[in-house]
Amino acid sequence: MAATLSLSGSPGLDPSSSSDQSVSSRSNNRSLRVAEKERKKNEAEDPFVLALKYFSDVEAGTPVHGNDEVEKNMVMVEKVAYMKGLSPEAISIMLEFAMSLRMGTTLCARVLKCLIPATVVPQEAVVRAVVWLGIGKIPISTRILFIKWVLTVFDMIDAKDQLRAIYGFIFSYVTEENLFPFICHLLYLLTRKEKVILSMYILFLQGRQPFLLSLLSLYKVFCPELVTLSISSRIKSGFRNHNMPWKSALIAVQKRNGSQVATSISLASAIKTNPRKRKHCHLELPVLSSVVSKEAQTDPSSSRKVVPLVQLHSFAHILENMHRIELPAQMGSLLGSSLALQYLDCVQDESALLRLNFWLGHALHEEFLFCGDGGASQNSEEALQFLNTLLSTQHFLQEGFSCSEAFLYKFLSVWDGSLLRPQILGLLSNIPVVPSSQIRRLLFEPLMQLFFTSSLFFKCGLMECLNNMLLKWLTWHSVYALEDDLDISLNSHTSINMTLSRFKDSVMELVDFVGQLASLSLQLEGCHSLLLSFILDFYETVCDTFLKYGLPLVVMPTPGVFYPALFATDPVSVDRLAYIMYRWGLELMLQPRKNVMQAFHISRQTFREFNHYAVVMVNCLWNSNMFQPDMGVQLGEELLLKSNVPQYWTSFDLIHHPAFMSYAVDFHQRCWPERKDMDLNSIKHSKPWSWYLEYLFSQGYDGLKQFVQSNISRPLTAAGGHVDRQDDGHVDRQDNGHVDGQGDRQDNGQDDGLSTLQR
Amino acid sequence: MFKSVSGFCLLGPSPQDMERHHNSATRTPLNNVGVQRRSKSYRLSYRSCLGTAASRLGLTPALTARRLNTSRRALKPHGVAEKVDPEQLALLVKTEWQLSYVTPLHQFRHTQLKSYSRRLAAFIAAGKQQGLAVAVENPQTTFRVSFSLVEGMTESADDAETVLIQIHARPSFAGQDEPQRPAWSGWLTCVNGNPDYLRSLPKDFTCLPLFGSSGAEGLGALVKSWFQQSFDCCFGPLEVSHTSLQWLMALWTNCHTEASIQHLKMIWTLPAVPPLEVTYTVNPEDAWELWRSVRKQKENRGGGGEEEENCIDIEEVADFVQGLKSHFYRHFRLDLSAGSLNQVSTALGSAKHSGRMKISNSRYMTTTLTLLTESALLKMPI
Repeated sequence: MAATLSLSGSPGLDPSSSSDQSVSSRSNNRSLRVAEKERKKNEAEDPFVLALKYFSDVEAGTPVHGNDEVEKNMVMVEKVAYMKGLSPEAISIMLEFAMSLRMGTTLCARVLKCLIPATVVPQEAVVRAVVWLGIGKIPISTRILFIKWVLTVFDMIDAKDQLRAIYGFIFSYVTEENLFPFICHLLYLLTRKEKVILSMYILFLQGRQPFLLSLLSLYKVFCPELVTLSISSRIKSGFRNHNMPWKSALIAVQKRNGSQVATSISLASAIKTNPRKRKHCHLELPVLSSVVSKEAQTDPSSSRKVVPLVQLHSFAHILENMHRIELPAQMGSLLGSSLALQYLDCVQDESALLRLNFWLGHALHEEFLFCGDGGASQNSEEALQFLNTLLSTQHFLQEGFSCSEAFLYKFLSVWDGSLLRPQILGLLSNIPVVPSSQIRRLLFEPLMQLFFTSSLFFKCGLMECLNNMLLKWLTWHSVYALEDDLDISLNSHTSINMTLSRFKDSVMELVDFVGQLASLSLQLEGCHSLLLSFILDFYETVCDTFLKYGLPLVVMPTPGVFYPALFATDPVSVDRLAYIMYRWGLELMLQPRKNVMQAFHISRQTFREFNHYAVVMVNCLWNSNMFQPDMGVQLGEELLLKSNVPQYWTSFDLIHHPAFMSYAVDFHQRCWPERKDMDLNSIKHSKPWSWYLEYLFSQGYDGLKQFVQSNISRPLTAAGGHVDRQDDGHVDRQDNGHVDGQGDRQDNGQDDGLSTLQR
Repeated sequence: MFKSVSGFCLLGPSPQDMERHHNSATRTPLNNVGVQRRSKSYRLSYRSCLGTAASRLGLTPALTARRLNTSRRALKPHGVAEKVDPEQLALLVKTEWQLSYVTPLHQFRHTQLKSYSRRLAAFIAAGKQQGLAVAVENPQTTFRVSFSLVEGMTESADDAETVLIQIHARPSFAGQDEPQRPAWSGWLTCVNGNPDYLRSLPKDFTCLPLFGSSGAEGLGALVKSWFQQSFDCCFGPLEVSHTSLQWLMALWTNCHTEASIQHLKMIWTLPAVPPLEVTYTVNPEDAWELWRSVRKQKENRGGGGEEEENCIDIEEVADFVQGLKSHFYRHFRLDLSAGSLNQVSTALGSAKHSGRMKISNSRYMTTTLTLLTESALLKMPI
């Protein structure tokens, strides 16, 4: 009886107020009520509240036609009704307004059609409306509509005692021919044994309509001696569903509100639901309910009192009872409530988690793999919601469920890459570390197929997903390596060391895989800068494996990524590449100092690769020395001459690089505003060069700045000196000495720095 | 939406595929089936994932392709009839069952069957009366539920005992004195379940993966939802796959000398417009002859000793079916390979792709149920 209505008072009418508490928080109703009062004050201006006020206050006889105000308010109410449903108070007001015919009969039907309850229907409102049925001059079609509405929401009426009290009154309507079937149905729902005698004159009515037979058969059950008619025990339930105008809206509203009040409308009409129609119910979260078990009581060992999770309504409650919370009957129900998730986070019970995994895995398999009729596409709205719930749960727990992992491996081979893409990729990025021996078959092969047959958009999405996956693996490593007290400097015979190497293998496989995808896809997509950006995102994660996540692993990018990024036409990509190279350099230089060298052996090859890349970058951007014979990119001399590019060796320095050319021009104009002929080479003189760098750095190219500062040491004294870059391109670096050393790098070459390039 | 849903069959490849996969499949025999049990199912710790548990990772079902066995023992007329109470056995045979798979039941106790009967009866009464607003004095008068243990169905020590559920009901508007009639019955079983999978489950789970139901659908749905709520398990439809149907054909035909199959009937659906349904009935003698020649070939190929003798390989099954197909082609110029096998039946039993199955001769029950248990286990999400 939450809704004893105060028709005169200010109606409290936030329809969402009651539905918001899907976690049934009866205990804090009081505080909620206080909060609601507060809100009510604030919402005095809410157009919906005003609309309801209008309908409760409007005077009888106000004209409808040409009345814009009533139209506006009516639309408002309808909008809210179809969106969120109406609160009990709102239903009382609107029903009273409609049935009293204050504004004529036309509005009455319209109001009835939009009476979608958000939670419950107050009984008193229905009783009053039934009374109006007897008084007013309501047209017969509207009367039928009203009774149909009552039948539809019957299960949502908060109590039925008063309705039963006017049983006889309702019964009197059976004499109206048109109302007869509907009244029969309503009576059927209301009948109690003691009422039967009252209403026996129904027998005078002739006919064997199924609805009448149903009612009679019910009477016969209660008072067999009074009903002489022989009724076959096989008759079908004679009532039809009358919920058509409301059904879909009601379902939509309930779904949106996630309310569990009146779970099934179809049952209201005493007709079995066809199981075939509810084929896909496996995506519905089970209702949170406690275990019904007798064993618990008889078992002497469980003498301590347990508290079912259903009874806990606040986080504080959970904390208080943490030690004696009883798990719900169905673990799947935990996903439906944010409070329960808090508890799930602490659950250690293996069986409980296995139950959850069984349920979840079953739902995923049934929805996406086993139903061959394309069930997933039919109710994609439902599937979307389900996956979103799952994703947010995994987010909350910061871990993926093993069943979703198992599901994904199967699903990837049948996925078309577009169905629920964001959700599937989201799930994919949550999967835990896959052993390197299996990763190719389970993950890479299906992904590769999808990747190369899908659009650029998918490619970017997958890159992002793989980046997230790597991030999670690394984070997981950095957390658990600590938690398990993993001492990676232990000697190489222990299994722990094995695990680390296995983990590294997996990460390595992943990075290699992305390298392959990246270099091929950059070729396919013409070095698309959006794709390049996603790829560089990934490498930004890779270059920090040690510094940020403590994983002693350095993997260099493939040339297929390095060169497209270096020669990209947008300065951002070049800048990010410079940043990545800077981080790598830092990592390579710092690692030997971290005292973990026994476990961490960086191959010479890695150093060589890094040095090579660094040299290429410096030569390209700084020394204007493109196309050196030892570079990764080689072109024949005669071909370069044929191209007629003047001074082709300078074409990718910081001035002529297509990405920076515009900056160089801009700088030139600012530096020498009076000059008419532009000579970009004049920037290369020492002073303007350093200004130019300052200028570039001031444009936000921090990566470039860090790269230059760490890799190129410019003698400060050279400020006044003349420098001619073309032939000053020698690199003074010890890039071989310590790197190629015989494995005892710690002793000799730690502080050498890696690639100090001197100009 | 999917590239090919039907092509994605967990349960087994088409015969051609089977041959192709055969070698790899024999190298990774059934013991690859297994459930991964991490100490905390979704919660990894470093050790449990990559540490000493390396071998457990290898058992992740997701990581190994699960397939139906490629070789199984021939039907033996052994056991069941002697071991199982004939009255109960009579209830199981000669009824057509709609099959489902069930995920392991949590906290299911074979000792509590009485209390389950009471609770399920109350649950059904409540479910049936929803929306009727009829006060029912005693649900027991309308519905009577009995859970019973079918002892002797199990084949290995890991199998849980079969449970039979019967519901008797009085029609809705019948008088008090009218007798209750059987309205629904069903069973849960596990015959020769994969031991690795069964052992990998924690103690408080009972794995009865195969569920058969027969009777009013509404009651069946209520029973399922009661199980879901009481034991936190899930039900899903279990189709009898193309491969399983072929297996059944071969296994049944193999028994012909001991118990006449009387006929071998297949129903094929061909993807023509309008769809063409082919009912193909084979004389039992002819089927047996064909089967014997297939078996002979194998022996000639160099089959091993006694042990081998009793085993039937998937190749033989494929050869047998191929023989039937090419016979049909010779007569009707219609290649059945283009269609799909929907139903097979003999005097020993019948099975439909939709998951309806009937066992007519209890002597050969075990092997059929083993095959179906295997199919059901393949459907397990983890």
